[in-house]
Amino acid sequence: MHAPPDNRLSLLESVLSAVSLGAIVLDGERRIVLWNGWMTRHSGRAAEQMVGQDFFAAFPELRGHRVDAAIQQALYNNFPSLLSQTLNKAPFPLFARPGDQDRLQQAVEVMPVSLADAARHCLIQITDVSLAVGREKLLREQAMVLRSQTFSDGLTGIANRRHFDVAMEKEHRRAKRGNLPLSLLMIDIDNFKAYNDHYGHQKGDQCLIQVAAALAAILKRPGDLIARYGGEEFAIVLPETDVEQATLLADALRLRASELGIPHERSSSEARIVTVSIGVATQVAGQPVEIAALIGAADRALYQAKRSGRNRTHARLPD
Amino acid sequence: MFNLSELENDALVEVFNIGVGQAASSMSGIVNETVRMSVPSISFMNRADAGRMLAGGPDLAQERICGVSQNYDGAFRTEAILMFPEDKSLEIVRLMVGEAVPLKELTEMEQEAMCEIGNIILNSCVGTLANIFQRELQGSLPRYHLGTSDEILTATGSQDDTVLMLHIDFVVERQQIHGYVAFILGMSALHDLKDQINQYIARAMGQA
Repeated sequence: MHAPPDNRLSLLESVLSAVSLGAIVLDGERRIVLWNGWMTRHSGRAAEQMVGQDFFAAFPELRGHRVDAAIQQALYNNFPSLLSQTLNKAPFPLFARPGDQDRLQQAVEVMPVSLADAARHCLIQITDVSLAVGREKLLREQAMVLRSQTFSDGLTGIANRRHFDVAMEKEHRRAKRGNLPLSLLMIDIDNFKAYNDHYGHQKGDQCLIQVAAALAAILKRPGDLIARYGGEEFAIVLPETDVEQATLLADALRLRASELGIPHERSSSEARIVTVSIGVATQVAGQPVEIAALIGAADRALYQAKRSGRNRTHARLPD
Repeated sequence: MFNLSELENDALVEVFNIGVGQAASSMSGIVNETVRMSVPSISFMNRADAGRMLAGGPDLAQERICGVSQNYDGAFRTEAILMFPEDKSLEIVRLMVGEAVPLKELTEMEQEAMCEIGNIILNSCVGTLANIFQRELQGSLPRYHLGTSDEILTATGSQDDTVLMLHIDFVVERQQIHGYVAFILGMSALHDLKDQINQYIARAMGQA
Protein backbone atom coordinates (compact mmCIF):
# COMPACT_ATOMS: atom_id res chain seq x y z
CA MET A 1 0.00 0.00 0.00
CA HIS A 2 1.37 3.40 -0.99
CA ALA A 3 1.37 6.43 1.24
CA PRO A 4 -0.91 9.25 0.07
CA PRO A 5 0.92 12.19 -1.65
CA ASP A 6 1.08 14.52 1.36
CA ASN A 7 2.40 11.71 3.57
CA ARG A 8 4.96 10.84 0.92
CA LEU A 9 6.32 14.38 1.02
CA SER A 10 6.72 14.29 4.78
CA LEU A 11 8.24 10.80 4.50
CA LEU A 12 10.81 12.11 2.01
CA GLU A 13 11.59 15.06 4.27
CA SER A 14 12.14 12.75 7.24
CA VAL A 15 14.40 10.47 5.21
CA LEU A 16 16.42 13.39 3.89
CA SER A 17 16.82 14.69 7.40
CA ALA A 18 17.93 11.26 8.67
CA VAL A 19 20.51 10.29 6.01
CA SER A 20 24.11 10.48 7.09
CA LEU A 21 25.41 12.71 4.38
CA GLY A 22 25.08 16.39 3.70
CA ALA A 23 22.59 17.52 1.05
CA ILE A 24 22.23 21.06 -0.25
CA VAL A 25 20.02 21.88 -3.25
CA LEU A 26 20.47 25.10 -5.22
CA ASP A 27 18.00 26.50 -7.73
CA GLY A 28 18.99 27.87 -11.15
CA GLU A 29 19.83 31.22 -9.51
CA ARG A 30 22.15 29.45 -7.05
CA ARG A 31 19.86 30.15 -4.10
CA ILE A 32 19.73 27.49 -1.39
CA VAL A 33 16.37 25.70 -1.56
CA LEU A 34 17.21 22.69 0.59
CA TRP A 35 19.54 22.17 3.56
CA ASN A 36 19.21 18.82 5.28
CA GLY A 37 19.54 17.77 8.91
CA TRP A 38 23.10 16.44 8.52
CA MET A 39 24.17 19.89 7.27
CA THR A 40 22.50 21.53 10.27
CA ARG A 41 24.19 19.11 12.68
CA HIS A 42 27.68 19.59 11.24
CA SER A 43 27.59 23.26 10.25
CA GLY A 44 25.70 24.66 13.22
CA ARG A 45 23.48 26.55 10.76
CA ALA A 46 19.76 25.72 10.69
CA ALA A 47 17.70 25.23 7.54
CA GLU A 48 15.44 28.19 8.45
CA GLN A 49 18.51 30.40 8.42
CA MET A 50 20.00 28.99 5.17
CA VAL A 51 17.07 28.35 2.82
CA GLY A 52 16.45 31.30 0.51
CA GLN A 53 20.02 32.63 0.87
CA ASP A 54 22.30 33.02 -2.11
CA PHE A 55 24.84 30.17 -1.91
CA PHE A 56 27.82 32.47 -2.40
CA ALA A 57 26.47 34.98 0.12
CA ALA A 58 26.48 32.10 2.62
CA PHE A 59 29.93 30.81 1.51
CA PRO A 60 31.76 33.81 -0.03
CA GLU A 61 35.12 31.97 0.24
CA LEU A 62 33.90 29.38 -2.28
CA ARG A 63 33.42 31.90 -5.08
CA GLY A 64 35.92 31.09 -7.85
CA HIS A 65 36.74 27.81 -6.04
CA ARG A 66 36.33 24.40 -7.61
CA VAL A 67 32.91 24.12 -5.88
CA ASP A 68 31.86 27.17 -7.92
CA ALA A 69 33.07 25.56 -11.17
CA ALA A 70 31.25 22.31 -10.28
CA ILE A 71 27.98 24.18 -9.64
CA GLN A 72 28.32 25.88 -13.02
CA GLN A 73 29.02 22.51 -14.69
CA ALA A 74 25.84 21.10 -13.14
CA LEU A 75 23.54 24.09 -13.75
CA TYR A 76 24.72 25.16 -17.21
CA ASN A 77 26.31 22.05 -18.78
CA ASN A 78 24.27 19.35 -17.03
CA PHE A 79 27.43 17.49 -15.96
CA PRO A 80 28.07 16.03 -12.50
CA SER A 81 31.38 16.71 -10.75
CA LEU A 82 33.37 14.92 -8.12
CA LEU A 83 35.55 16.84 -5.68
CA SER A 84 37.98 14.51 -3.96
CA GLN A 85 39.20 15.06 -0.43
CA THR A 86 42.79 14.76 -1.62
CA LEU A 87 42.71 17.60 -4.14
CA ASN A 88 40.23 19.86 -2.29
CA LYS A 89 41.02 20.34 1.37
CA ALA A 90 37.67 20.40 3.22
CA PRO A 91 35.87 23.16 1.28
CA PHE A 92 32.88 23.44 3.65
CA PRO A 93 33.10 24.59 7.28
CA LEU A 94 31.71 21.34 8.73
CA PHE A 95 32.69 19.81 12.05
CA ALA A 96 32.13 16.51 13.84
CA ARG A 97 30.93 18.39 16.93
CA PRO A 98 30.13 22.07 17.46
CA GLY A 99 33.23 23.91 18.66
CA ASP A 100 35.73 21.52 17.02
CA GLN A 101 38.77 23.16 15.44
CA ASP A 102 39.41 20.74 12.58
CA ARG A 103 36.99 20.48 9.69
CA LEU A 104 35.52 17.15 8.66
CA GLN A 105 37.39 15.62 5.70
CA GLN A 106 34.97 15.84 2.80
CA ALA A 107 34.24 14.18 -0.52
CA VAL A 108 31.77 16.26 -2.50
CA GLU A 109 29.55 15.42 -5.47
CA VAL A 110 27.66 18.08 -7.38
CA MET A 111 24.81 16.68 -9.51
CA PRO A 112 22.43 18.40 -11.89
CA VAL A 113 18.76 17.94 -10.96
CA SER A 114 16.19 18.38 -13.72
CA LEU A 115 12.74 19.63 -12.81
CA ALA A 116 9.64 19.60 -14.99
CA ASP A 117 8.44 23.09 -14.10
CA ALA A 118 11.57 25.07 -13.23
CA ALA A 119 15.11 25.81 -14.38
CA ARG A 120 17.65 23.08 -13.61
CA HIS A 121 18.69 22.77 -9.96
CA CYS A 122 21.77 21.14 -8.52
CA LEU A 123 22.37 18.83 -5.58
CA ILE A 124 25.55 19.13 -3.53
CA GLN A 125 26.24 15.92 -1.60
CA ILE A 126 28.90 15.89 1.07
CA THR A 127 30.30 12.69 2.56
CA ASP A 128 32.46 12.60 5.69
CA VAL A 129 35.62 10.67 4.75
CA SER A 130 37.60 11.47 7.91
CA LEU A 131 37.88 7.78 8.85
CA ALA A 132 39.38 6.75 5.51
CA VAL A 133 41.75 9.71 5.57
CA GLY A 134 42.92 8.73 9.05
CA ARG A 135 43.43 5.13 7.98
CA GLU A 136 45.56 6.17 5.01
CA LYS A 137 47.57 8.56 7.12
CA LEU A 138 48.43 5.64 9.40
CA LEU A 139 49.33 3.46 6.41
CA ARG A 140 51.59 6.19 5.05
CA GLU A 141 53.27 6.71 8.40
CA GLN A 142 54.03 3.01 8.63
CA ALA A 143 55.42 3.03 5.09
CA MET A 144 57.53 6.01 6.09
CA VAL A 145 58.93 4.14 9.11
CA LEU A 146 59.85 1.17 6.90
CA ARG A 147 61.38 3.44 4.34
CA SER A 148 63.32 5.47 6.87
CA GLN A 149 65.40 2.38 7.51
CA THR A 150 66.75 2.67 3.98
CA PHE A 151 66.80 6.43 4.31
CA SER A 152 69.25 6.87 7.14
CA ASP A 153 72.99 7.27 7.15
CA GLY A 154 74.71 4.13 8.42
CA LEU A 155 77.34 5.94 10.48
CA THR A 156 75.58 8.88 12.09
CA GLY A 157 71.96 7.63 12.10
CA ILE A 158 70.65 10.92 10.68
CA ALA A 159 69.00 11.08 7.23
CA ASN A 160 71.13 10.10 4.25
CA ARG A 161 71.58 11.93 0.99
CA ARG A 162 68.69 10.11 -0.67
CA HIS A 163 66.34 11.12 2.14
CA PHE A 164 67.58 14.70 1.81
CA ASP A 165 66.81 14.73 -1.94
CA VAL A 166 63.26 13.45 -1.35
CA ALA A 167 62.59 15.85 1.54
CA MET A 168 64.04 18.77 -0.41
CA GLU A 169 61.82 18.04 -3.38
CA LYS A 170 58.73 17.75 -1.19
CA GLU A 171 59.42 20.92 0.80
CA HIS A 172 60.35 22.83 -2.33
CA ARG A 173 56.96 22.03 -3.90
CA ARG A 174 55.14 22.83 -0.69
CA ALA A 175 56.91 26.19 -0.44
CA LYS A 176 56.10 27.00 -4.04
CA ARG A 177 52.43 26.08 -3.73
CA GLY A 178 51.90 27.70 -0.37
CA ASN A 179 53.98 30.84 -1.09
CA LEU A 180 56.18 30.04 1.91
CA PRO A 181 59.88 30.74 2.49
CA LEU A 182 62.31 27.80 2.54
CA SER A 183 65.82 27.82 3.94
CA LEU A 184 68.72 25.44 3.47
CA LEU A 185 71.86 25.20 5.62
CA MET A 186 75.08 23.60 4.41
CA ILE A 187 77.37 22.72 7.30
CA ASP A 188 80.99 21.62 7.05
CA ILE A 189 83.34 20.56 9.84
CA ASP A 190 86.36 22.87 9.75
CA ASN A 191 89.77 21.33 8.98
CA PHE A 192 88.27 17.85 9.06
CA LYS A 193 90.91 16.36 6.75
CA ALA A 194 93.60 17.55 9.12
CA TYR A 195 91.61 16.00 12.01
CA ASN A 196 91.46 12.64 10.26
CA ASP A 197 95.15 12.77 9.38
CA HIS A 198 96.10 13.65 12.93
CA TYR A 199 93.74 11.43 14.96
CA GLY A 200 92.96 8.62 12.48
CA HIS A 201 89.72 7.54 10.84
CA GLN A 202 88.12 5.93 13.89
CA LYS A 203 88.37 9.18 15.83
CA GLY A 204 87.16 10.94 12.68
CA ASP A 205 84.03 8.77 12.65
CA GLN A 206 83.45 9.46 16.37
CA CYS A 207 83.72 13.17 15.67
CA LEU A 208 81.11 12.93 12.87
CA ILE A 209 78.72 10.97 15.11
CA GLN A 210 79.04 13.47 17.96
CA VAL A 211 78.62 16.55 15.80
CA ALA A 212 75.64 15.04 13.92
CA ALA A 213 73.88 14.15 17.20
CA ALA A 214 74.51 17.59 18.71
CA LEU A 215 73.20 19.41 15.64
CA ALA A 216 70.16 17.12 15.32
CA ALA A 217 69.25 17.76 18.98
CA ILE A 218 68.83 21.48 18.30
CA LEU A 219 66.15 20.97 15.63
CA LYS A 220 62.74 20.99 17.28
CA ARG A 221 60.13 21.29 14.54
CA PRO A 222 58.92 18.04 12.90
CA GLY A 223 59.44 19.41 9.36
CA ASP A 224 63.12 20.30 9.89
CA LEU A 225 65.50 17.70 8.52
CA ILE A 226 69.22 17.20 9.03
CA ALA A 227 71.02 14.91 6.60
CA ARG A 228 74.58 13.79 5.97
CA TYR A 229 75.19 15.41 2.61
CA GLY A 230 78.71 14.18 1.93
CA GLY A 231 81.85 13.14 3.90
CA GLU A 232 81.98 15.77 6.65
CA GLU A 233 79.20 17.90 5.21
CA PHE A 234 75.67 18.12 6.62
CA ALA A 235 72.58 19.78 5.15
CA ILE A 236 69.52 21.03 7.00
CA VAL A 237 66.18 21.71 5.31
CA LEU A 238 64.15 24.38 7.14
CA PRO A 239 60.60 24.76 5.81
CA GLU A 240 58.69 28.01 6.43
CA THR A 241 61.87 29.70 7.66
CA ASP A 242 63.08 33.11 6.44
CA VAL A 243 66.73 34.15 6.20
CA GLU A 244 66.80 35.89 9.63
CA GLN A 245 65.39 32.85 11.47
CA ALA A 246 67.68 30.53 9.52
CA THR A 247 70.77 32.61 10.35
CA LEU A 248 69.81 32.69 14.05
CA LEU A 249 69.43 28.92 14.05
CA ALA A 250 72.72 28.50 12.17
CA ASP A 251 74.54 30.51 14.82
CA ALA A 252 72.95 28.39 17.56
CA LEU A 253 74.13 25.23 15.75
CA ARG A 254 77.64 26.59 15.33
CA LEU A 255 77.79 27.49 19.03
CA ARG A 256 76.51 24.03 20.01
CA ALA A 257 79.22 22.32 17.90
CA SER A 258 82.01 24.29 19.51
CA GLU A 259 80.50 23.66 22.98
CA LEU A 260 81.18 19.97 22.46
CA GLY A 261 84.82 20.97 22.98
CA ILE A 262 86.22 18.13 20.88
CA PRO A 263 90.01 18.69 20.90
CA HIS A 264 91.53 19.43 17.48
CA GLU A 265 95.30 20.04 17.62
CA ARG A 266 95.51 20.91 13.95
CA SER A 267 92.51 23.31 13.97
CA SER A 268 92.99 26.82 12.66
CA SER A 269 90.85 28.05 15.58
CA GLU A 270 92.51 29.56 18.62
CA ALA A 271 90.80 27.19 21.06
CA ARG A 272 92.07 24.15 19.09
CA ILE A 273 88.66 22.51 19.09
CA VAL A 274 86.34 21.17 16.39
CA THR A 275 84.19 23.93 14.85
CA VAL A 276 81.80 24.14 11.89
CA SER A 277 81.18 26.67 9.13
CA ILE A 278 77.65 27.20 7.86
CA GLY A 279 76.25 28.52 4.58
CA VAL A 280 72.63 29.71 4.65
CA ALA A 281 70.47 30.10 1.54
CA THR A 282 66.82 31.12 1.57
CA GLN A 283 64.15 30.95 -1.06
CA VAL A 284 61.96 33.99 -0.37
CA ALA A 285 58.18 33.42 -0.08
CA GLY A 286 56.52 33.79 -3.48
CA GLN A 287 59.83 33.77 -5.39
CA PRO A 288 60.57 30.11 -6.04
CA VAL A 289 63.90 29.15 -7.60
CA GLU A 290 65.18 25.78 -8.79
CA ILE A 291 66.38 23.34 -6.11
CA ALA A 292 69.84 23.32 -7.72
CA ALA A 293 70.02 27.12 -7.42
CA LEU A 294 69.16 26.95 -3.73
CA ILE A 295 71.78 24.28 -3.08
CA GLY A 296 74.30 26.26 -5.17
CA ALA A 297 73.64 29.40 -3.13
CA ALA A 298 74.10 27.50 0.15
CA ASP A 299 77.36 26.03 -1.17
CA ARG A 300 78.68 29.45 -2.15
CA ALA A 301 77.64 30.86 1.23
CA LEU A 302 79.51 28.01 2.93
CA TYR A 303 82.59 28.74 0.81
CA GLN A 304 82.35 32.41 1.86
CA ALA A 305 82.15 31.39 5.52
CA LYS A 306 85.25 29.21 5.09
CA ARG A 307 87.15 31.94 3.29
CA SER A 308 86.37 34.54 5.91
CA GLY A 309 88.09 32.45 8.56
CA ARG A 310 85.89 29.42 9.39
CA ASN A 311 83.67 28.88 12.47
CA ARG A 312 81.17 31.36 11.08
CA THR A 313 77.84 31.69 9.29
CA HIS A 314 77.32 33.30 5.94
CA ALA A 315 73.93 33.84 4.27
CA ARG A 316 72.95 34.59 0.71
CA LEU A 317 69.88 34.56 -1.49
CA PRO A 318 69.87 32.40 -4.61
CA ASP A 319 70.90 34.31 -7.76
CA MET B 1 37.42 1.99 -40.61
CA PHE B 2 35.49 5.18 -40.06
CA ASN B 3 37.44 8.22 -41.23
CA LEU B 4 37.28 11.98 -41.24
CA SER B 5 38.53 14.34 -43.93
CA GLU B 6 41.63 16.33 -43.03
CA LEU B 7 39.51 19.42 -42.41
CA GLU B 8 37.11 17.52 -40.13
CA ASN B 9 40.03 15.94 -38.31
CA ASP B 10 41.70 19.33 -37.73
CA ALA B 11 38.45 20.85 -36.49
CA LEU B 12 37.96 18.03 -33.99
CA VAL B 13 41.58 18.26 -32.76
CA GLU B 14 41.05 21.99 -32.26
CA VAL B 15 37.86 21.39 -30.27
CA PHE B 16 39.56 18.86 -28.00
CA ASN B 17 42.52 21.16 -27.47
CA ILE B 18 40.14 23.89 -26.27
CA GLY B 19 38.60 21.31 -23.92
CA VAL B 20 41.83 20.02 -22.38
CA GLY B 21 43.10 23.62 -22.18
CA GLN B 22 40.15 24.42 -19.89
CA ALA B 23 40.76 21.24 -17.91
CA ALA B 24 44.43 22.20 -17.47
CA SER B 25 43.49 25.63 -16.19
CA SER B 26 41.04 24.11 -13.63
CA MET B 27 43.76 21.75 -12.45
CA SER B 28 46.32 24.55 -12.24
CA GLY B 29 43.84 26.32 -9.94
CA ILE B 30 43.57 23.26 -7.69
CA VAL B 31 47.31 22.66 -7.28
CA ASN B 32 48.42 26.31 -7.57
CA GLU B 33 51.00 25.33 -10.14
CA THR B 34 51.03 25.34 -13.93
CA VAL B 35 49.45 22.26 -15.47
CA ARG B 36 49.48 22.08 -19.25
CA MET B 37 47.59 19.66 -21.47
CA SER B 38 47.33 19.21 -25.19
CA VAL B 39 45.90 16.77 -27.70
CA PRO B 40 48.53 16.29 -30.41
CA SER B 41 46.46 13.86 -32.48
CA ILE B 42 43.32 11.77 -32.69
CA SER B 43 42.55 8.56 -34.52
CA PHE B 44 39.72 6.13 -35.08
CA MET B 45 40.24 2.41 -34.53
CA ASN B 46 38.32 -0.66 -33.53
CA ARG B 47 38.28 -1.85 -29.97
CA ALA B 48 40.73 -4.69 -30.44
CA ASP B 49 43.32 -2.41 -32.07
CA ALA B 50 42.80 0.16 -29.34
CA GLY B 51 43.51 -2.51 -26.72
CA ARG B 52 46.71 -3.54 -28.50
CA MET B 53 47.87 0.06 -28.86
CA LEU B 54 47.27 0.80 -25.18
CA ALA B 55 49.12 -2.32 -24.17
CA GLY B 56 52.11 -0.94 -26.08
CA GLY B 57 52.69 -4.17 -28.03
CA PRO B 58 51.53 -7.78 -28.07
CA ASP B 59 53.91 -8.88 -25.28
CA LEU B 60 52.75 -6.20 -22.88
CA ALA B 61 49.08 -7.08 -22.89
CA GLN B 62 49.21 -7.92 -19.19
CA GLU B 63 50.49 -4.52 -18.12
CA ARG B 64 47.90 -2.78 -16.01
CA ILE B 65 46.16 0.38 -17.10
CA CYS B 66 44.38 2.81 -14.83
CA GLY B 67 41.16 4.23 -16.25
CA VAL B 68 38.45 6.69 -15.27
CA SER B 69 35.20 6.36 -17.21
CA GLN B 70 32.03 8.38 -17.60
CA ASN B 71 28.96 7.79 -19.76
CA TYR B 72 27.37 10.56 -21.74
CA ASP B 73 23.99 10.59 -23.37
CA GLY B 74 21.88 13.11 -25.28
CA ALA B 75 22.95 14.65 -28.60
CA PHE B 76 25.14 11.57 -28.98
CA ARG B 77 25.85 8.60 -26.76
CA THR B 78 29.37 7.67 -25.79
CA GLU B 79 31.44 6.16 -23.07
CA ALA B 80 34.55 8.22 -22.37
CA ILE B 81 37.59 6.74 -20.65
CA LEU B 82 40.74 8.52 -19.55
CA MET B 83 43.63 6.05 -19.40
CA PHE B 84 47.20 5.99 -18.19
CA PRO B 85 49.60 3.10 -17.64
CA GLU B 86 49.39 2.24 -13.93
CA ASP B 87 52.86 3.61 -13.08
CA LYS B 88 52.04 6.90 -14.83
CA SER B 89 48.80 7.23 -12.86
CA LEU B 90 50.81 6.91 -9.65
CA GLU B 91 53.10 9.62 -10.96
CA ILE B 92 50.25 11.97 -11.88
CA VAL B 93 48.55 11.66 -8.52
CA ARG B 94 51.89 12.10 -6.77
CA LEU B 95 52.61 15.23 -8.82
CA MET B 96 49.12 16.64 -8.29
CA VAL B 97 48.92 15.84 -4.59
CA GLY B 98 52.58 16.56 -3.82
CA GLU B 99 52.77 13.38 -1.73
CA ALA B 100 56.30 12.25 -0.92
CA VAL B 101 55.50 8.68 0.14
CA PRO B 102 53.97 6.94 -2.84
CA LEU B 103 52.65 3.49 -2.05
CA LYS B 104 52.65 0.68 -4.56
CA GLU B 105 49.06 1.24 -5.62
CA LEU B 106 46.76 4.19 -5.48
CA THR B 107 44.98 4.27 -2.11
CA GLU B 108 41.22 4.70 -1.92
CA MET B 109 41.59 8.46 -1.47
CA GLU B 110 44.10 8.68 -4.33
CA GLN B 111 41.75 6.71 -6.59
CA GLU B 112 39.14 9.32 -5.80
CA ALA B 113 41.64 12.06 -6.70
CA MET B 114 42.31 10.24 -9.98
CA CYS B 115 38.53 10.14 -10.56
CA GLU B 116 38.37 13.87 -10.02
CA ILE B 117 41.19 14.44 -12.53
CA GLY B 118 39.29 12.25 -15.01
CA ASN B 119 36.04 14.04 -14.25
CA ILE B 120 37.63 17.43 -14.99
CA ILE B 121 39.28 16.28 -18.22
CA LEU B 122 36.32 14.29 -19.58
CA ASN B 123 33.71 16.94 -18.69
CA SER B 124 35.87 19.62 -20.34
CA CYS B 125 36.37 17.59 -23.53
CA VAL B 126 32.73 16.57 -23.85
CA GLY B 127 31.48 19.95 -22.65
CA THR B 128 33.45 21.79 -25.32
CA LEU B 129 32.15 19.37 -27.90
CA ALA B 130 28.56 19.93 -26.71
CA ASN B 131 28.95 23.72 -26.65
CA ILE B 132 30.45 23.88 -30.09
CA PHE B 133 27.78 21.60 -31.47
CA GLN B 134 25.20 23.68 -29.57
CA ARG B 135 23.69 20.52 -28.15
CA GLU B 136 23.18 19.27 -24.63
CA LEU B 137 24.42 16.04 -23.05
CA GLN B 138 23.96 14.38 -19.68
CA GLY B 139 26.86 12.73 -17.93
CA SER B 140 27.39 10.14 -15.20
CA LEU B 141 29.80 10.39 -12.28
CA PRO B 142 33.32 9.04 -12.90
CA ARG B 143 34.26 5.43 -12.11
CA TYR B 144 37.74 4.13 -11.43
CA HIS B 145 39.08 0.99 -13.14
CA LEU B 146 42.35 -0.88 -12.96
CA GLY B 147 43.16 -3.75 -15.29
CA THR B 148 44.53 -4.74 -18.66
CA SER B 149 43.64 -2.53 -21.60
CA ASP B 150 41.10 -5.07 -22.84
CA GLU B 151 39.45 -5.27 -19.45
CA ILE B 152 39.14 -1.52 -19.23
CA LEU B 153 37.79 -1.02 -22.72
CA THR B 154 35.04 -3.55 -21.99
CA ALA B 155 34.52 -2.75 -18.30
CA THR B 156 31.33 -0.82 -18.79
CA GLY B 157 29.80 -3.39 -21.08
CA SER B 158 29.30 -1.07 -24.01
CA GLN B 159 28.63 -3.07 -27.19
CA ASP B 160 29.91 -0.38 -29.53
CA ASP B 161 33.07 -1.13 -31.36
CA THR B 162 34.60 2.07 -32.68
CA VAL B 163 37.06 3.99 -30.55
CA LEU B 164 37.93 7.63 -31.10
CA MET B 165 41.33 7.79 -29.44
CA LEU B 166 42.85 11.05 -28.26
CA HIS B 167 46.51 11.17 -27.40
CA ILE B 168 46.99 13.59 -24.55
CA ASP B 169 50.12 15.13 -23.15
CA PHE B 170 49.96 16.17 -19.54
CA VAL B 171 52.74 18.42 -18.25
CA VAL B 172 53.17 19.29 -14.59
CA GLU B 173 56.44 20.34 -12.93
CA ARG B 174 58.23 19.97 -16.28
CA GLN B 175 57.39 16.27 -16.31
CA GLN B 176 55.51 15.13 -19.35
CA ILE B 177 53.12 12.21 -19.07
CA HIS B 178 51.46 10.65 -22.04
CA GLY B 179 47.93 9.29 -21.75
CA TYR B 180 44.80 8.61 -23.73
CA VAL B 181 41.14 9.46 -23.81
CA ALA B 182 38.98 6.91 -25.60
CA PHE B 183 35.46 7.66 -26.74
CA ILE B 184 33.62 4.45 -27.51
CA LEU B 185 31.04 5.20 -30.15
CA GLY B 186 28.38 3.35 -32.09
CA MET B 187 27.75 3.84 -35.81
CA SER B 188 24.90 6.30 -35.33
CA ALA B 189 26.96 8.37 -32.85
CA LEU B 190 29.83 8.43 -35.36
CA HIS B 191 27.59 9.77 -38.09
CA ASP B 192 26.07 12.32 -35.70
CA LEU B 193 29.59 13.39 -34.80
CA LYS B 194 30.58 13.80 -38.45
CA ASP B 195 27.40 15.81 -39.14
CA GLN B 196 28.00 18.07 -36.18
CA ILE B 197 31.62 18.70 -37.18
CA ASN B 198 30.52 19.68 -40.65
CA GLN B 199 27.87 22.04 -39.29
CA TYR B 200 30.52 23.57 -37.05
CA ILE B 201 32.92 23.97 -39.99
CA ALA B 202 30.15 25.51 -42.09
CA ARG B 203 29.36 28.02 -39.31
CA ALA B 204 33.06 28.83 -38.85
CA MET B 205 33.51 29.31 -42.61
CA GLY B 206 30.36 31.42 -42.83
CA GLN B 207 31.64 33.78 -40.17
CA ALA B 208 35.12 34.02 -41.67
